[in-house]
Amino acid sequence: MSWAGFKKSVNRAGTTLLQKTGQIERTVDREFADEEAKYRIFEKECQALQKDSKAYWDAMRAMTAAQSRIAETLETFYSAADRTSEGAMAGHAYKRSVDDLDTTFTRELDVPYRTTISEPLGKMCAYFPVVNEHIAKRNKKLLDYDSARSKLKKLIDKPSEDPTKLPKAQQENDECKEMFDMLNDQLIAELPQLLDLRVPYFDPSFEAMIRMQAKFAEEGYEKLSGVQRYFADNVRDDYAAGQLDAQVEGILQEMRELSICGGN
Amino acid sequence: MKGIGKALSRTPFAVTSKIGMAKRSVDPEFDDYQRHFASLEQAAEKIIKDTKAFTEAVTNLFTAGAGFATHFTVIFQPIAGEYDLIGKHPEAAHTIRNVTKYETAMQELRELIGPELELIETRISGPAKELQSVMKLIRKTITKRDHKLTDYDRFNNSLTKLRDKKDKSLSDEKNLFKLEQDFEVATNEYEYINNALKQDFPRFMMLATQFIDPLFNSFFYMQLNIYYLLLEKMHSFADESKYDVSNVPGAQIAQEYEEKRTDAWSVIENLGIIKRIVSVSRLVQQSRAQNSQTSLGRSATTSTTASPSSSLRAGAPPTRSVSGASSYTKAAPPPPSSFQAAAPPPYTPSSSAGASAAATKRAPPPPPPLKPKPKAAPEVKYVVALYDFTAQADGDLSFNAGDRIELVEKAESAEDWWTGRLNGVQGVFPGNYVQET
Repeated sequence: MSWAGFKKSVNRAGTTLLQKTGQIERTVDREFADEEAKYRIFEKECQALQKDSKAYWDAMRAMTAAQSRIAETLETFYSAADRTSEGAMAGHAYKRSVDDLDTTFTRELDVPYRTTISEPLGKMCAYFPVVNEHIAKRNKKLLDYDSARSKLKKLIDKPSEDPTKLPKAQQENDECKEMFDMLNDQLIAELPQLLDLRVPYFDPSFEAMIRMQAKFAEEGYEKLSGVQRYFADNVRDDYAAGQLDAQVEGILQEMRELSICGGN
Repeated sequence: MKGIGKALSRTPFAVTSKIGMAKRSVDPEFDDYQRHFASLEQAAEKIIKDTKAFTEAVTNLFTAGAGFATHFTVIFQPIAGEYDLIGKHPEAAHTIRNVTKYETAMQELRELIGPELELIETRISGPAKELQSVMKLIRKTITKRDHKLTDYDRFNNSLTKLRDKKDKSLSDEKNLFKLEQDFEVATNEYEYINNALKQDFPRFMMLATQFIDPLFNSFFYMQLNIYYLLLEKMHSFADESKYDVSNVPGAQIAQEYEEKRTDAWSVIENLGIIKRIVSVSRLVQQSRAQNSQTSLGRSATTSTTASPSSSLRAGAPPTRSVSGASSYTKAAPPPPSSFQAAAPPPYTPSSSAGASAAATKRAPPPPPPLKPKPKAAPEVKYVVALYDFTAQADGDLSFNAGDRIELVEKAESAEDWWTGRLNGVQGVFPGNYVQET
């Protein structure tokens, strides 16, 4: 921090203290406070939205990637004994379709998701720190203004010996007021605009998101359901009836009975 | 204690065999099985891990989906004191009407997915973990077999060494007998366990494959069902809210998005509050400058800056309206940077359409050379430049603000071109750029 900046912050700390103790009156600007409150809500929601949109995309990728890895592992199981069984064929078909889903599909959606969701959100969220800087600056200038005004008031109430003091204080007061007014007016004018623009700004993203979600579901469903052709006819019903679980249990039992499992 | 004793007695052999001093027997058939088994062990571990990863990804997907919908809905609903978003943004009405439905749909979806995930947990991860515990038992048997093999090799080695010894002492003979016995025991134990393993391994491999079949099928249907749930929900929502969710290439979605994008982007970018503050005092100066500029003849500014040069060509000088004249002289000099945009005296040598209009205005320039008389006139009048002026055509007089210019010829109006001389150069300049002393 520069020396000037340090001096400023010390002075401001003093002003805050005096305000807390009621020595200097504080300017209250309802209009700004309202706009700021709304802006804060918007900021929070946008950041949450950005987080969720990223999590959504990551989850989509993670889901297909996990499927792809599972398919690979299945191959290991099938290669342990019978490589040409029906199950192995189905496993292979499954691997093909999830690989397809994992690579081609996510690659296809990668750019659109970025253009329609991540970038608009990222851009909006990148504005917030700058806006916050403006607000912080405005608050600092408000403190300066409050302090200058109280000095001026004191001089008027109790005129000083030095005749140059009053015009100087007056000028300082005017300057601080001008700075503060400028920042404050800009914020009051533009914060509602920014908030209002969010609607047209994000509007197209909504439809794009729905379409991409639907596409993800549809591609996933279609690619996977193709694998069913390789299953034996009864598998679907067996699954529905819970037969498959029983089979799994039965085989596990058989394994436990092997002599090498200490089951003898 | 027994275990430690065994381990200790096996250690020397482990060392010597490692460095190649002792022979080690190999059973290729068994090794082959064991390799397979090891890969199955890894596979089991991986499948448990990936199933977990999958479940987590699905959970995240639906949680994030619901979260996205919730936050989007908040953004598309009036914040605090706002009202009538649809009225203000009729083009986004469709979205505004449907965000809530979308939010509900996504929440429902998240709840629907719960039972599916539970199913995966109990029906897939559970059995896979069981399989893993079975494999651990087998691994234990394999370790035991390895120990027995070590014993076998150890006794075998000692025995051969002793047998090969040329002249054996009495104690050697005794040892030989003991070793033979030990060797026989070790052989039996090893053979037994090795054969058991070799016999059961193929069976186990078969079972493993049989195990994976139904497991895979179940898992497959669970995955399919997850996609189906999502698909079904998206479609019912889209149908209800009239969204077109037919499966089109991703690039098309992006493109249509671009088409729908409004100028909101550029409008936001033009807001002052999203630009970094460099220095407040500079900002104050700028705003002062702007204010003073607006006070000095807006009419002049707009007519000159807003219209492109082509229209200026038609008759630039006259458009600098009369009203501008007085206010120009009153105005404080704007800073140089903004000045250029604010008060250029734009014109171009008239050539075509605007010729007549411009010609009348530009008429003054030619005469000056023919009029050396003013110089002879007794009194020389000077004007002081208020702004910088850079020559824009031949015959123009360039000067800087504050220069004293000798006035050669003054037109009637300040809105016209005057003739003057500066540093020995004579030329014309806009009358409203100077102030008469």
